[in-house]
Amino acid sequence: MYLVLVPLAQLIWRTVTWGEGDRRLSPAAVEGEVTGFHWMEAFSGPSSNAMLFEPLANSLFTGLFAAVFALLLGGVLAWVVTRTDMPGTSWLRPLLIVPYVVPSFAIALAWETLFKSPRIGGLPGLYETVLGFGPPEWLSYGPTPIIITMTIHYFPFAFLLICGALASLDSQLEESAELLGASRWTILRKITFPIVAPAFAAAAILTFGKTIGTFALPFLLGQPVQYATLATRLFSTLNQGLDALGYILALVLIAITALAVYASSRVLGGNLNRFETIGGKGFKGQLTRLRNWRWPIFGATAAVALAVAVFPLLLLGYQTLMLVDGFYGFDNLTLHYWIGESDPELAEGEPGLVRNDVILGATWITLKLAFISAAICSVVGLIIGYIVVRDRGGWIAKLLDQISFAPFLFPAIAFAAMYLSLFAEARGPIPALYGTFTLLVLISVVNRLPYGVRTGTAAVAQIGRELEEAAEIQGASWMRRFRQIVLPLATSGLVAGMLVSFVGVMRELSLIILLITPSTRVLMTVGFRYAEEDQVQLGNALILLVTVLTLAGQYLVWRLGKGRLARLRERSG
Amino acid sequence: MEATIEIRDLTKRFGKVVALDRLSLTVEPGEFLVLLGPSGCGKTTLLRSLAGLETPDEGEISIGGDVVFSAPRGISVPPGDRRVGMVFQSYALWPHMKVKDNIGFGLRVQKLPRQEVEARVTTVLDDLAMGGLGERYPSQLSGGQQQRVALARLLATRPPVFLMDEPLSNLDARLRMDMRSELKRLHHDTGATTVYVTHDQSEAMTMASVVVVMNEGRIQQMAPPGQIYRQPANVFVAGFIGMPRINLLAARTLGDGRARFEVGDFTLPAPGAPPNAKVFVGARPEDVMLSLEPADDAVEFQVYAVLPAGPETIVHIRRGEVTLVARETRQLELKMDQSVWVGFDPAAINIYDGASGELLPPEGGSRREAASRMADGGRTG
Ligand SMILES: Nc1ncnc2c1ncn2[C@@H]1O[C@H](COP(=O)(O)OP(=O)(O)O)[C@@H](O)[C@H]1O
Ligand SMILES: [Mg+2]
Repeated sequence: MYLVLVPLAQLIWRTVTWGEGDRRLSPAAVEGEVTGFHWMEAFSGPSSNAMLFEPLANSLFTGLFAAVFALLLGGVLAWVVTRTDMPGTSWLRPLLIVPYVVPSFAIALAWETLFKSPRIGGLPGLYETVLGFGPPEWLSYGPTPIIITMTIHYFPFAFLLICGALASLDSQLEESAELLGASRWTILRKITFPIVAPAFAAAAILTFGKTIGTFALPFLLGQPVQYATLATRLFSTLNQGLDALGYILALVLIAITALAVYASSRVLGGNLNRFETIGGKGFKGQLTRLRNWRWPIFGATAAVALAVAVFPLLLLGYQTLMLVDGFYGFDNLTLHYWIGESDPELAEGEPGLVRNDVILGATWITLKLAFISAAICSVVGLIIGYIVVRDRGGWIAKLLDQISFAPFLFPAIAFAAMYLSLFAEARGPIPALYGTFTLLVLISVVNRLPYGVRTGTAAVAQIGRELEEAAEIQGASWMRRFRQIVLPLATSGLVAGMLVSFVGVMRELSLIILLITPSTRVLMTVGFRYAEEDQVQLGNALILLVTVLTLAGQYLVWRLGKGRLARLRERSG
Repeated sequence: MEATIEIRDLTKRFGKVVALDRLSLTVEPGEFLVLLGPSGCGKTTLLRSLAGLETPDEGEISIGGDVVFSAPRGISVPPGDRRVGMVFQSYALWPHMKVKDNIGFGLRVQKLPRQEVEARVTTVLDDLAMGGLGERYPSQLSGGQQQRVALARLLATRPPVFLMDEPLSNLDARLRMDMRSELKRLHHDTGATTVYVTHDQSEAMTMASVVVVMNEGRIQQMAPPGQIYRQPANVFVAGFIGMPRINLLAARTLGDGRARFEVGDFTLPAPGAPPNAKVFVGARPEDVMLSLEPADDAVEFQVYAVLPAGPETIVHIRRGEVTLVARETRQLELKMDQSVWVGFDPAAINIYDGASGELLPPEGGSRREAASRMADGGRTG
């Protein structure tokens, strides 16, 4: 409660009062006094177009299109992978998830590498090198690449949600329609789609919430041509010290997501919670036969998977080996950016990855942050999940469930703005946490809490109530039951949940970029700085490092999940 | 080791559903009481309220003289302090603990010394013929063995009260039969007051010293199994107990002093029934007497179906709208549609009030005496 509502209130308060540095905005400013100046300025001031309305329009435009494309692509792929007899699904499925697992701006960097155009500055991209002429500008920077890269990054998210819904769909429903002579298209339209529609709608809202709050992609691909979205404008206004204005932008972002969620719950008549829990039961029924289309569809799917998952990483990897960016030849290959000593001629004297103190320090902080946040998050999630499950219907359970879901509603960067406004200076008993590691842990935990609670709830729900009651009758105290019954039985689920959080925190940028100071740099922000400064090779090497770490984590999660399924089967069998 | 359980005016609601409705019940020390009733009638809720896993809305419970729950006085003793043991329908064995740790858990909670715990676990395992299984995990045991571990866990702490919620329902039919006799033996050896929930009437009849039939959160009848069968207290119990079902005929007694009742187009004798009343006549299939020749007071029916079932044969017979089920132990050669003559054993039939469905007390006790004679085996064909 405190961690969500209070920051929000503080955020609003800061937009209606004069701040410290506001003297330069207006001579009438008296610090701490209430004023409507900021809102007036934002909505009707001379620069409100550039500050608010244009970014707003851009955000809606790119966010909506990216969400729609991500849904279409994810939906089609989900259907093909789960409901048809297409070959190769076992390795295509994990491959298709890779773009979501890697840091979002890895894709932006790969895009830049491919389509960089010298007109903006810097050296030519691969496109120009191969074809001999530059790409059209709309393809290099601006809304088009933003939409495309966001689609690539977020379609696996929709893919996963829809896969879950499709997998639990009983194919007998489809078969009975087929027996009645319905055509395949009719079946898809009349049976399959209505059943998965709720999951689809939930996926739409959640995807939109993500696209609209994304920071790194529109920043890297929009900034060079002064194309701003709410998220990037928020970042730059805060950087310029125009705090109140930045907070207004954050509120606008929050309002948009809240509206979308509200609209969808009106349409669907329920809350998103319900749909999100659709877990793949692994029901395998009769699969749709593709006949002649089997191999062409496989080819297309595999091509998509390779293009979005493997190719960008290869591109980035290759680039880190180029001594001078932009020249594709064997004599230009080097390992300098990985293992080289500091050389004033290259990369402004930054040593290679494994010798770079900044990077190594950031790696350490990143791992520490991810581990601590993930551990706290899963334990808190387990306790909340325990209360939610055991006290089903009780008001505490409902309240906790709703509140822990709340961070879903806040786009990551707006969430960070809330925390920035609250913790920038000491207030009462709360010290000024800005710039501390603690604040990073705090915001990471709160942000991941919806997932933590979800995992905790699932883990507790899977432990029958009677298992605990059997111990209660024998006189075991609550602590003893929790320690000896609940915790051991929830462990495997918890560890998996922890790893998911671990990976999530590690590749998070939008959430923490506003809260980072030099002493608390993490890999993602260091990588972002390199990317900003056009230190392409080092930036890419760093991204690859994060990617490898996250993929390894993801692989562990997957292995654990398989092991757990096997054990559960053994237990119930 | 014996304890009385007293339940007074217990009410439990789940939202609008009234699971227990002002229920009162006394379980004598050492009794084997079976709660029997259709699914959803509140058996589990009652058992869980006894254990303290459910908090009733009204009423009082005392176990062994101690008040463990009282709504008016605001008392609710936690489950662990009620000295009851429970076997759950799902067994609720802890999958991450070895069998011996499952069984020893309660003893360790009581902080018994380690040797003592081990000795008791070994004894209990041996008693249940499971020596050597202590090191296994529950998932490595068969259903029957898991059931025994659940029992062993209850026995280890030696509670004076056993609560069991459909403990045999997850076993296959043959194992269930074997476990019935074992549970009976166990009850005899421990002397623990036992409350046993089941929806299986043959289980109830074979195991109980006293049966409580429940419906919609209320007690319909509490009596020893024989009486529940011979003299169901109302039409619900009459219809619920017995397989095949009892014949319940809507009838009207005649007012001409002949003590007969009228069903459709025929009349039959009804000793002791009040004159001129709407009633239900309950006759168990074995109380419907068939004969192949016309006889005094017998009514002609047609054979509708013959269903041989080993030692007995179930015969469905019909006359107009009236269908009866008869149980025959004699070897009669019956053919479809042939005529048979039907009479009721007047000593065995029960007559229920047509409005309330309650059993009408037999006048002068003649029917009851006849019934107990019947139960001793004197039966006329
Ligand atoms: N935890 C609960 N929440 C809501 N209703 C319940 C709960 N437990 C039982 N009920 C309801 O109370 C009634 C009695 O249930 P129960 O005692 O389990 O019946 P039985 O064990 O005889 O089958 C049923 O209508 C059931 O739906
Ligand atoms: Mg039950």
